[in-house]
Amino acid sequence: MKPPRSIRAVLLAGTAVLLIVVLGAAAWLGFDAGQDEAAELFDARLATSARVLAALVAPHAQAARAGAPVIVAIPGPLETAEHDASTSLGHHYETKIAFQVLDAQGRLLMRSAAAPQAPFAPAEAGFSTQRFDGHAWRVFALRAGELWVQAAERDDVRTELSGKLALATVAPLIVGIPVLLVLLGLLTRYGLRPLADLARRIAGRPAGTLEPIRLPRSTREIAPVVEALNGLLERERRFTADAAHELRTPLAALKVHTQNAVRATSAEERKASLERVQAAVERSARLAEQMLAYSRATAARTAAPAQAVSLRQVLEDALDDVLPALRARGQKIAVTAEPPVDEIMVPGDHEKLVSLARNLLDNAARYAPERSTVQVELHQGPAGVSLSVADEGPGIPAALRERVFESYYRIPGATGEGSGLGLAIVREIAAQHGATVVITQGAQGRGTRVAVTFR
Amino acid sequence: MRILLVEDDELLGAGINDTLTRAGHSVEWLRDGKLALAAFGQEGLEVVILDLGLPGLDGLEVLRRARAAGKKTPVLVLSARDATDQRVDGLDAGADDYLVKPFNVEELLARVRALQRRLRGSATNVLEHGGVRLDPGACTVVCEGRPVPLRRREFMLLEKLVASAGQVFTRAQLEDALYGWDGNVESNALDVHVHNLRKKLYPGIIRTVRGVGYIADPPA
Repeated sequence: MKPPRSIRAVLLAGTAVLLIVVLGAAAWLGFDAGQDEAAELFDARLATSARVLAALVAPHAQAARAGAPVIVAIPGPLETAEHDASTSLGHHYETKIAFQVLDAQGRLLMRSAAAPQAPFAPAEAGFSTQRFDGHAWRVFALRAGELWVQAAERDDVRTELSGKLALATVAPLIVGIPVLLVLLGLLTRYGLRPLADLARRIAGRPAGTLEPIRLPRSTREIAPVVEALNGLLERERRFTADAAHELRTPLAALKVHTQNAVRATSAEERKASLERVQAAVERSARLAEQMLAYSRATAARTAAPAQAVSLRQVLEDALDDVLPALRARGQKIAVTAEPPVDEIMVPGDHEKLVSLARNLLDNAARYAPERSTVQVELHQGPAGVSLSVADEGPGIPAALRERVFESYYRIPGATGEGSGLGLAIVREIAAQHGATVVITQGAQGRGTRVAVTFR
Repeated sequence: MRILLVEDDELLGAGINDTLTRAGHSVEWLRDGKLALAAFGQEGLEVVILDLGLPGLDGLEVLRRARAAGKKTPVLVLSARDATDQRVDGLDAGADDYLVKPFNVEELLARVRALQRRLRGSATNVLEHGGVRLDPGACTVVCEGRPVPLRRREFMLLEKLVASAGQVFTRAQLEDALYGWDGNVESNALDVHVHNLRKKLYPGIIRTVRGVGYIADPPA
C-alpha cells in the first residue's frame, strides 16, 4: 500500500516551490535593478571626478608641453582599510582611478601613473568602456576649453561593488525563504491540530462504543467530517438497538412457552407449550439468519468481482430453499420468461442474487393466502433485465411502499412473522448490482408485485 | 381474575394467554389497539396487560385515552422498549406497572397479583375468611388447618366472592369472571361449582340470594 499523503507535506512543498519561484524572480529583478542603479551612481561620480580634475589641472596643463607629459602618481585604494567601514584613512570601496589630459590635437599633456602613454579614448565627449593596462575601464571624456580631460575607473572593481550592493538588497529575501518555510511548517502543524485532535479522540475511544464524537472546539473544516462520522455511528447504533429490540419479542415468546412447559400440570398442557416452544425457536433462528444475511449483504459491498450470473440458475437455487414452505401452504409457483429464452445473464454475485430471489419468494409464500399462485417473471427488454415476483396477498399500501425497505420495518398488524429485513436485504443487494426495486400492485389489482430491474 | 391481554404478536400472545389461563385467570386476548381501547371499560375487568407496539393505535395512546376517559382499571405495560425514559413515559401515560420483554412468567403472575392486591386495598395476597385461608399466588386453600384441593374454577369463584365479602354477585357477573369471553357456559356449571365448594369447605361459606346470585357473608 502506498503511504498516505500528508496534507502538511503537500502544503509545505507547494509553499516552498511558490516561495522559491516568486521570491527568486523578485530577487533576480532586484539584483538587476540594483546593479543598474549602482552603475549609474558610479558613472555620475566618474563625471564629477573628471570635472573636478579639469578645474584643478587646467592651469598646470597649459605649462606642460606635448611630448613630455606630466605624470601624477595616485596611490592605490587602501587595501588595509576596514572592510565595509568608513575610516580616517578612506574606504575599502575606493576604486582604482586613472586620468589623461590632452590638448585639442589629442597630444598627451598630463596623465596619472596608471594611465597608458597613448590616449585611451577617442576625442569624443561622454562615457565609453575601454581596455588598457590589462583591464576594462569605464571612461568619461570631458572637453574643458582647449583641453580634453579623460577620467577612467577600473571596471572590475565597479562590477564587484555594484554586485555586492545588489546582493546586499537581495540577500534578506534569499535568507528569508528557509526561515519562512520553517515558520510555515509550525503554522500548518498548529492549523492542522484539530485534525490530530480528532484522530486522537477516535483512537482513544473504547472498542465498540457508538457514542457520538464531541469536539470541545470545532472548525468549519472538521465539522462536516465529525458530522458524517456521527451520522454513521448513529445509524450503526440504531441498527444495533433495533436488532436488540427485534430479538426481544421472539425471545419473550420462547421464554414464556418454555416456562409454561416447565410449569405445566398435565401432559396435554406440556405438549401444547412445547409445540409453541418449537415455533418460537424456529422464528428466532430465522430472525438470526436474516440478521446475518442482512449484515453480510451490507458488509461485503465491494468484495466479489462481478461475474456473468444466470438468472435461471439463481431462481432455481432460490426455489430449492423456498419450495418446502410454498408446498406446506399449498401454494403454486408459475415461472414465465419474456422473450422465452433459456438463459438470461446479468453481471453480479451469484450467492447474493440467490439471497435476493429467496427473500422475494419467501415474502410471497409468507403473506399470500394458502393455495394461491406466486407469479415469477423474467423479462428482457430495452429497459434492461427484470425479475419480478407477484403474489395474491394483502398488498402493500402505496404510502408504505418506500418504508417497507427500511430494516426491521413491518406493516402494523401484518400477519406472518417476518423479520422486517427481507426487503431491506433485497434492496441492498439490488443496489450493489446497480438494480432498482419497485413495488406495485399485483395482477388483477391485488396482491404485491416486486420487480428488480438490472440495467 | 378477569384480565384483558393486548398483544399483537401471535406466538407471544398465545404464551401469555396460556400462562394466565393456567394460573386460573380468565383472559380476553386482543391484537389491535383500537379494539383494546373499546374493551377497556368492560365491567368486571380487573387487570389490563398492554403491549406498546400495536397496530391500529399505539399502546401508549390507548392508555392515555383510556385514562382520559376516566377508566381506572390497573394496567401492566409489557414492552420491548426498555430505556428509562420509555418506562417513565409508560408510567406517566397511566400504567401501574411496567415489565420489559423478555420476562419470567412467575414475575408476570406476581405483578398481576400485586395489581389485584392494590385494587382490593389489601396488604397481602392471602385472603382469610371464616376459617378459610386462600393464597392466590400458590393457588392453595386451607380450611381449619386442613389443605383442601380445589379445581381451577372453584378456586376462581371462591376468590371472587371472598375478595369482596358482603357483596352480592349476579350469576352473570360470576359466569363472566369464571369463563370470561369463552361463551358456551353450561347453564348449571356455576351451581355445580357452588355445590362443590360448600361440600369441600362448609355449607355456610356461600349463601344463595334468591333470584339474584351468590354472596360470601362477611365474618361476624
